[in-house]
Formats: sequence, C-alpha cells, structure tokens
Amino acid sequence: MPLDKRNNRSVQVLGIDAGGTMTDTFFVDADGDFVVGKAQSTPDNEARGLIESSREGLEHWGLSLEEALGSIQTGVYSGTAMLNRVVQRKGLKTGLIVNAGMEDFHRMGRACQAYLGMAYEDRIHLNTHYYDDPLVPRHLTRGVMERIDMFGTVVIPLREETARTAAQELIAQDVEGIVISLLHSYKNPAHERRVRDIVAEEIEKSGKQIPVFASTDYYPVRKETHRTNTTVLEAFAAEPSRQTLRKISTAFKDNGSKFDFRVMATHGGTISWKAKELARTIVSGPIGGVIGAKYLGEVLGYKNIACSDIGGTSFDVALITQGELTIQNDPDMARLVLSLPLVGLDSVGAGAGSFIRLDPYTKAIKLGPDSAGYRVGVCWADSGIETVTISDCHVILGYLNPDNFLGGQVKLDRQRAYDAMKDQIADPLGLTVEEAAAGVIELLDSDLRDYLRSMISGKGYSPSSFTCFSYGGAGPVHTYGYTEGLGFEDVIVPAWAAGFSAFGCAAADFEYRYDKSLDVNIAEEASDDAKEIEAKTLNEAWHELAERVLEEFELNGYARDKVRLQPGYRMQYRGQLNDLEIESPIETAKTAADWDKLVETFNDTYGRVYAASARSPELGYSITGAIMRGTVPIPKPNIPKEEEGSPVPPEEAKLGTRKFYRKGKWVDAQLYQMESLKPGNRVTGPAIIESDATTFVVPGGFETWLDGHRLFHLKEV
Amino acid sequence: MAYTKAKIKDLVDGKIDRDTLQTMLSTPKDADRFVKYLEILQEQVPWDDKIILPLGPKLYIVQRSSDKKWVVKSQAGHEFCDWRENWKLHAVMRVRETAEEMEELYPRLMAPSSDWQVIREYYCPLSGDLLDVEAPTPWYPVIHDFEPDIDAFYTEWLGLEIPERAA
Repeated sequence: MPLDKRNNRSVQVLGIDAGGTMTDTFFVDADGDFVVGKAQSTPDNEARGLIESSREGLEHWGLSLEEALGSIQTGVYSGTAMLNRVVQRKGLKTGLIVNAGMEDFHRMGRACQAYLGMAYEDRIHLNTHYYDDPLVPRHLTRGVMERIDMFGTVVIPLREETARTAAQELIAQDVEGIVISLLHSYKNPAHERRVRDIVAEEIEKSGKQIPVFASTDYYPVRKETHRTNTTVLEAFAAEPSRQTLRKISTAFKDNGSKFDFRVMATHGGTISWKAKELARTIVSGPIGGVIGAKYLGEVLGYKNIACSDIGGTSFDVALITQGELTIQNDPDMARLVLSLPLVGLDSVGAGAGSFIRLDPYTKAIKLGPDSAGYRVGVCWADSGIETVTISDCHVILGYLNPDNFLGGQVKLDRQRAYDAMKDQIADPLGLTVEEAAAGVIELLDSDLRDYLRSMISGKGYSPSSFTCFSYGGAGPVHTYGYTEGLGFEDVIVPAWAAGFSAFGCAAADFEYRYDKSLDVNIAEEASDDAKEIEAKTLNEAWHELAERVLEEFELNGYARDKVRLQPGYRMQYRGQLNDLEIESPIETAKTAADWDKLVETFNDTYGRVYAASARSPELGYSITGAIMRGTVPIPKPNIPKEEEGSPVPPEEAKLGTRKFYRKGKWVDAQLYQMESLKPGNRVTGPAIIESDATTFVVPGGFETWLDGHRLFHLKEV
Repeated sequence: MAYTKAKIKDLVDGKIDRDTLQTMLSTPKDADRFVKYLEILQEQVPWDDKIILPLGPKLYIVQRSSDKKWVVKSQAGHEFCDWRENWKLHAVMRVRETAEEMEELYPRLMAPSSDWQVIREYYCPLSGDLLDVEAPTPWYPVIHDFEPDIDAFYTEWLGLEIPERAA
C-alpha cells in the first residue's frame, strides 16, 4: 500500500460478523478497497471483540479506529447473541394470552421440537429426544374466551371481561412483555386487536410499562405454534438484543462513528436495530456469505452459484439459481418452529473445530457433531481442549502455519497436536500420525463433497452448471477437497474469503419484508369476475403489508417516496403441497388481466424450478401468501477491478516453503502471501497461499490464478 | 471419552446437566463407566458387601463378604436369596386387585379393570422401600425379570475379572 494513500483513505462501509468463534470486521473505502479484521469473539461483552477486530483490520491500512469511524456511512451487524439467548432459553419474563382451553399448546409445542437440530443418529434414537422448557411457562399463560374459525368467521364473540382478567393477572405477575396469539387471527384480526387494546388499557391503569405483541401485527401467518413462537421471541429475546445493539452502537459512537447500525435479517436484507420485527435477526452470520455471493454474481455475471462456507463448527451450503435465493418460510431455529422468511441454507456439523473420535467398537473415525468452536483444538495449549480436532490435523500436515494463525494472535503447538493425534487416533488404528491425520482430512473432504453433490443433484441440477464459491475461515483450506471431481463450471475463492460473510452483510440491501397468509383458490377457467375478486384480495394484502414496510422506513427517517416496493406472492397448483415464492410482475393487482399475469409468471417459474411438463394448470391455482419487500438505496462495497498482469507471481509474494503431507508423502509446498499476489498470477500446486485470517491450499494436481477482481479460480490440471 | 466421577454421580443422582447427558447418549459409552458407577453405588450403601450388579434403584446382587456367596440384597440390608433365584418370592408383597385399590392410584375409568390386570408391588421387608412393580393378568405367576449372564458381561463386555463366587 503506497504511503501517501493512507492518510487520505476514506472508509465508507463496515460489515461485522460476530460469530461464535471469531468476530470479523470488513471495511471498505471509497475506492472499493477493503480490509478484513479478525479477533476472537467475546460473548460476555460483544463490543470488546468488535472494537478489537476493527482495530486489527484498520491497522492494515495504518489507520486508527477513531480516524476511520468518522467517515463510515454504513455499518451492518450480524451475530449470534440472540440465537444463543434463545438456545439457552434465557430471555425476558413473558406473558402469553391464547384462546381459553388452548393454554397448553405452547408448552406442548410441536413434537418435532424434541429432536430439531440433532444429528441424524440422534433423531432416530428416541431416548436422546427431549423437550425444552417452554419460552413462556404455564403459569404466565392465560386464556380468553373467543373463537374465529379458519374462514375468519366469528364463532364465539370475544368475551372482553376474560381478556381484562387475563391482562390483570399477567400484569400482577410483573411480566416484561405480553404476547397475544389467538386462533386464525391471520384470517380475521379483529378479536386479537381488541384484546391487544384491552391489555394496553389495563397496563396503563396499572401504571407499569409493558410492551404488548399481538401476533397479527407481527406475523399474520398460518400455523399456530410457528406464529406464537415467533411472536414470543419478539418479547422474549429480541428486546434484550435491541439493548445489546444499542450498546454496540454506543461503543462505536464513543469512538467517533456517525452511522446507525443495521442488522442482517433472515430474509437476506438488513434492517435497523430499531425495527419492530427484530426477532428475524436471530440468525444472520451464514446468510451474509450467501448475500455476498449473490451480489458478486450480479455484478460479475455468475447466475448459478453454489455457496459453501466452512467455519469452526459447520459446513453451510446454499444455492443461488438464476440469480435467485431460495426462501424458506417456516424454518426452525434453536429447536423452535418459526414463521420467518429465511434464506435457504443447509448445514452439516462439520467444521475446522469438529472433534475426531474413534468408535470404540468398530474403530471407525467419527467427525463431530460437536466441536471445539473458537477454542481451535489440542494444538492451542490454552484452549483446554483434549480431544483432537480437524484443525489439529491441519497443523500436523502442514496445511496451517502454527505461528501465523489469525496473524499470530494465537500460537499453535504442532507437537501437542501430534502427540494427541498419536495417542487418540493413530496408535489405536496402527497408523502413523501422518496417515491418520491425512485419512481424517480425506474423510472430511469426501463427506463434504458428497453433501455438496447431493444438495445440487437433489434439486435437479448438475454441478457443471454451477460456479462454486468457497469462503469462511477454513473454506479455502478444503476447497480443493470438496470440489475435486464434481465438475463445477468454476471454483472461486475470494481473496477476502475470511471476511466474506461480513462483506455480504455490507452488500445487503436495506430491506424490510413482510408476509401474510392468504387462502385464494380459483379454477383454471374461472370467470373474469372471480379473477378480479381474487386479484383484489391479494392487492389488499399488499396494501396492508406495504403500510407496515413504509412505517419501518419512516422510523429510520426515510420518506415514503424514497422506498422502492416490490410485491410478491406464494402460489401453488390447487391441492399440491408446496408453493413457490414469486416476485410479482405487476405492482398492483386489480383486474382479471392482472390475475392472468400472476398466473403466467407462476407457470413460467414452476417450469423453470421443476420441469415444463410437470406444470398442472388444470388443477387451478391457490395463492397462499402475500409478500411485500421495500428497499432504499445504500452505499455498497465496490468490487475491485485491477489490470491483469504477468502470470508469474512477484518474488516478494514468496514466503519460503513448508513441509506438506498429502497422498502418502511429504512435499515442499511453496508458500505465498495472499495480499502480495497480483492479478493475473498463476500458482501451481503444491502451494499454500496464506493470509492472516485464512489459508488457501493448492495441492499438487491443482492450479489457481488470481483475476482482476481478486478472485482466485481453482482448477484441476 | 471419559467423565469425572462427579459427573457420573450427577447422572446416578438424576442431577446431570442436559448437555452432558445429550453427549453421553449420543456417543459410545465411556470404557470405565461401569467401574465408576459401581464405586458410586458402593459409597451409597450402608453395608460392605461388594456390589456385583445393580438390579434396581435400591436392589443389588452382592458378594457377601463373610462367605463370598452371591446374593440379592436391598439397600437397607435385607438379603433375599441366592442371586440365581427370583428375589420377588422372598419380598413383602401387596396386590392391588379391586377397583378401590386401583383407584388409590388412578382416577376412576382410567384404572385397569382388575379382572384383566392386577398390580403387584414388592417391598423390602426391612425398610418398606418399594423395589419393583409388575402389572400382569391376575393368574400369571410371579415374573422372574432378569437372569443376568454376569460371567459373559464381566469378561466379554467389560473385560473385567469375575469376582470370587462361592458355590
């Protein structure tokens, strides 16, 4: 970096990914240059790890935190704090109002919640199943007398005095939030809103300050347990996170920042920490990478992308097809079924920190499912870890530089890893330590490869029409392994792989999205009048959702005319089980002709996602949900563009050699400094390209070249 | 994986934390578990006879220290019989065989009909501890629940020596 440039640098965008292991920060300047900072996460006070990570990152530019923060316009946060709060069931004391006679449904939950998130072996192993304590205990649950049926018809009018008593009893127990979730309120919200108002009146009478959450104001969607869980999360977990985010925001403001933080949300956009629906920021880290890949794809013209990310604890895969993400509508998190739109993402519990054990009976090597997380492995003496991990194999085999892990912040001890590996795995199997460690790596590679292959072929695609993006701290270490032989069109490792999730967060739109369940059913040959009625039903739902989107933006000081609204809908052939999410081709739906356009778009999408011959218009059509997304323009990181030069890497990029073991023999791998490689450079394996926060392994038989966007392309030779 | 004796004691006492329990359930059993388990049980009983195998929460097969004979013994110290016999035949027994007796346990209409099923409770004659319950049809003989092959268990499963046993 030329000296004269340093002081003029104007840092524009900050992306943060506060994961369970590492806190990554990603800074982008006005020219689109970026730098990645990494520090270990500090779950007890997130701001500490964050500031540390920022300092570390900015140091590369010779900037102090105070110098840089003043010019930043955008800061996007993603983290695991809220998820942890929910996993540990440590939230606020929340009261719940449901239908009289239904008071137990929340604590009974859905049976699948007894095994959600478990490894396959445990799912089929009944005695490992267990039920968590409910978010709201029975003694804080009250019933009100009313009933609305699934068509939205009032069957029993609301007995208002029961709502009043319920409210008074909960207020008397000093709850910190009251959630109201009545049957079929997504279809007819009248009773639930009345109960909400009664509760508010009672709270006012009591002189206390208690927030009230009616499910219809937040998640007017089908499925009681999903809707109730999600609304409860708003009261139980999201409010404390709001405080955490405020603290982080303040910590940065104290250091001179002027921007307001936004948070990555499950639907793939970012929202303000002041947003009403904050529960949807419950998971965000892994999504960041997918959004980043989508953004890169949009700018550089990759339409089909397989995103793959290895972190400390898991391997995450997501597919982008024809530039579109998949959105999952009722995902589960922290062993709860929820009603949140979530960017489709599949995970297996295999990461760099995964523990390696031998089955005592069969002597088979077993990876995970638990992991050392941020504590790396036995090779880190201070970790307290005694069981060997994948990272230990990396250190033993020369994949990782033990003196430059996280830029030397953590010193790894190869001998410790070697001894533990010998004792726990190699000796019992009668192998040398190198053979055992290489075997473990091969096993991991083939597991990940099979998983990736099944993900893509399971959706009816072939890897040859996909570009594979590989990122995450440990992704590039294994890229060659899990892509070998799959025949991807291209395999790409961004030079900023370690901070890719944070980059994705910075590249995400400022976007609110709201969903509402609908029950529109219509025959293929319906009359124009019938079509018009259904079009108007959808339009009303859009209008309702648009109001809420606009309200959220107003909270952040964006005028209504600044917001770009994009309606969408979920449609299926009548009687089928799965619907498709469609971006609407029209902004308002009023006439039979409008309806036909919606149907046509659906038929096109169905043909593309499945097969044209599988389309079944004769069944008629159902619309199951309305969607409204609103965005405002925000500054995004530029993708670098440099001239491609000589294929020969400059001498100063070479860092010497290191012994590297693969396929039964030690070889000398040429080491390169990732940042010093120039666009156009070609590197033939065996080589290891190192940076502070990630290591890109190019074994013999592979070659990589760096393009002008600082993307490494890996191919087999 | 190995656990500390304190963790195993938590497990025995039903106080173990959820996460450790989950790991225990989903990973192969730790090799030294049985030995630790016996040590913990041995510390909890008021007598010195060596526990060979637990049969229930308060019932054990033990090696009588005086003559090395294996017998079934309760926590309170009552010796029932030789370890190969059915100890229930030597226990204090109570049979619930009328609707009234059933309804001490179950609400009316939720109790089994005593024409079809009776509940037999077996107690320690010394302490009155309830040691086992069975629910057979009324005419069914006393069930001999468990005839453990201790020799195979010790030598083939645990890799331990079989403790001394007088005939």
